[in-house]
Amino acid sequence: MTGGLPRRSFLSGLVGAGVAGPLAAMAAAPIAAEAATRASEAQNAAGGASAADPAARIPFEGINQQGILPPPQRAAAFVSFDVTAATRGELAELLQTITTRARFLTTGGAPQTTGISAPPADSGVLGPEVAPDNLAVTVAVGASLFDARFGLAALKPSQLRTMEDFENDALRREVCDGDLLLQITAQSTDTVLHAVRDIARATRGSMQIRWRRDGFVSAPRPSGTPRNLMGFKDGTSNPDITDAALMQKLVWASDGEPAWAAGGSYQVVRVIRMLVEFWDRVNIHEQENMIGRRRDSGAPLTAVAEFDDPHYDLDPTGESVPLNAHIRLANSRSQADLDTRILRRAYNYDGGVDPNGNLDMGLVFVAFNRDLDNQFVAIQKRLANEPLVDYISPFGGGYFFALPGVQGARDWLGQGLLSA
Amino acid sequence: MPTTTRRARLRIAVICAAVVLAAGAGALAITHFGASAPPVTTAGNDVAGDGSIDVIAGLDNCGSGWSSSTGGPLTFVVNNTSIGNIDVYLQSADTGAVYGELEGLGSRASATLSAVLGDGSYEFVCIGADAPVTTGAQVSIANSAARSDLTPGVVPVTRNDLYQPTQQYSAWITAQLPVLAGGVADLATSIQSGDRAAARRSWIAAHVTYETLGAAYGAFGNSDTAINGTPGAGMTAETDPDLTGFHRIESILWSDQQLSAAAPFAAQLVSDVSTLETTFATTRLDPQDVGLRAHEILENSVQEELNGSDDAGSGSTFATIDANIEGTEQAVLPLRPLLADRGFDLATLDDWLARSTALVESFRGPDGSWTPLSSITAAQREQVNATLSETVELLAPIAAICDIRQGV
Repeated sequence: MTGGLPRRSFLSGLVGAGVAGPLAAMAAAPIAAEAATRASEAQNAAGGASAADPAARIPFEGINQQGILPPPQRAAAFVSFDVTAATRGELAELLQTITTRARFLTTGGAPQTTGISAPPADSGVLGPEVAPDNLAVTVAVGASLFDARFGLAALKPSQLRTMEDFENDALRREVCDGDLLLQITAQSTDTVLHAVRDIARATRGSMQIRWRRDGFVSAPRPSGTPRNLMGFKDGTSNPDITDAALMQKLVWASDGEPAWAAGGSYQVVRVIRMLVEFWDRVNIHEQENMIGRRRDSGAPLTAVAEFDDPHYDLDPTGESVPLNAHIRLANSRSQADLDTRILRRAYNYDGGVDPNGNLDMGLVFVAFNRDLDNQFVAIQKRLANEPLVDYISPFGGGYFFALPGVQGARDWLGQGLLSA
Repeated sequence: MPTTTRRARLRIAVICAAVVLAAGAGALAITHFGASAPPVTTAGNDVAGDGSIDVIAGLDNCGSGWSSSTGGPLTFVVNNTSIGNIDVYLQSADTGAVYGELEGLGSRASATLSAVLGDGSYEFVCIGADAPVTTGAQVSIANSAARSDLTPGVVPVTRNDLYQPTQQYSAWITAQLPVLAGGVADLATSIQSGDRAAARRSWIAAHVTYETLGAAYGAFGNSDTAINGTPGAGMTAETDPDLTGFHRIESILWSDQQLSAAAPFAAQLVSDVSTLETTFATTRLDPQDVGLRAHEILENSVQEELNGSDDAGSGSTFATIDANIEGTEQAVLPLRPLLADRGFDLATLDDWLARSTALVESFRGPDGSWTPLSSITAAQREQVNATLSETVELLAPIAAICDIRQGV
């Protein structure tokens, strides 16, 4: 084994063989596949680069919602709400209101004037005219929305459920799950916060914030995929978002889902603390072995440049990229693994400081996938007890189902679900 | 009118309001010489070239620069060419309904006024500090396209308009004060008798009565602090040496302290309420207060009660909020005709007030005891937050509409 033993086990005197054994077995299918991911380079350049024109907008209407395929914007808020609406009718009104606000905010323009009839309708955070700033509001439903309250149980997407605790999780349920998840992203933080305030105000009586986590996408340093707060490029091997057939295969709901769900996608959110002080005390060699890439260039340890194939066929025993390295467990480049990739849209988060005086920062891992169990869950299980787990602690998030897009001026988010 | 400074913390608001009023008086003195000064910018339509309309506000010239418009969104850049402060209104020439205002536009200052107008006849009105009124030329808008985002026009509420509602509200308060006096007397008696359970019941009953009187706290002045003050920064109701009133007594009744320790504070409370009755009989409520507090009573509940900070041991937060909702309804009551005339949606407000009451009272048991805030589930807490917050959103326009304006 070239790969590092799990650090915590090592420190506590346990031998990691029991852990490493299954991992080695799992990774023993060293079939290489050449999968060009140039699209992700373009994607990351667009998403992570310098701020765009404030007038830039992402079309609100479409078969799919706007915040799934387009490259992630620089600033993000993940706000999970519990619905407090009393009836199914009020739930429909809530979703109509969210649609109306999202349509306005992502399109931009002058807010409603109130004269002397009321306080201003808009917070003014973006000035007198609301600039769209590539704002994208993406609404997803959680399993709890399909409980007895609204009579939606029979319409639940087939795999939607409360996120389970994985092997190395430390989930705090008060910052997990929720009836509705709003993923709000834009080029600028003020645009995101303006949208959060606007939507929360318009829906005050119908839903309440359960948990919230803001994130950001770093600029490319110096190029390529943006880095996470462990200093590594994160998301390099994303599937090509411009390949519609591939997106149909990997992202958009299809067979086995209720009819209303077409155009939607399972959304996984995992808020993962990174123990950065500990991480920073680890040798670069050990860090790189845990990830499987060079920290400086992002290149696989078997290759030259970030987007190079790792050529696991030339490294069947993990001499260069350990068999339990993160990238190798997540995607062995076998055809089976390539066919079950997820679309990642990860954000960094900065949460201040913990009681020990350590910095609270990490990753808001976000993935969209068509088949939750065979894509995200399968990957997550392959990652169980990887060496990296000693430096991270997943504590929040949940499983959601991103609603189909809004098509036409009279449509609204969730109309298919509520009318089914 | 100077803007009244507002704080959710009602007793602070009184002081701030007084300061601002004084500042306003100063401004009035300065601007008394209401002659015109030469315009500082060239007036004329759309000097900026950005689609806005430049208009002049002065005491011999109000609204010039605007002569015609089609309907839809209009942005005016209003320049005060006089040497004093001016209030500027854009209003219907027919009904006096106001579509936009610039209060206290300073001499030589300019500011933007935006409105979305449909068909009708409109005019600018300029009101100087010592109240000379100048009305501009009428501009008619016709054949505009139907749209859903028109600015609502609201006829301003004047000081006169608020006279009767203020009297009505004041009479209600006057009628409640003997109830309060009876309540605190019961409290003192049960403390004297050494019956802690009875004392606690009396405390909640009397405190709830006081908590319904929210729109008058400003007029109560120092009595409010004496009767219902909360501990100073860094102290508790038990440790603040200057604290008297309900919360001081609460901290004793719901602790291990001897009941008799509460007796002097109960006697003091009886005396303070008696003083309040006497002083309130000769106090005039500020007409501005009723509309302002109709909004802020519940704003205060959300800020100070829902976070539990005002609770000194009784766990009666929901009893207090229940009383605050009733107090809100009592403040809204005399304003209802004014609000209805101005297109305010009373039906939706009533729905949410009723919803709030029902929810809050669901935390009262059959024996009259209240569930402490800390004992409810997360889901119940979300319902409480949602319902009260929505109700506060709906109350906010009342303060905006009832902001006293100079009628024309």
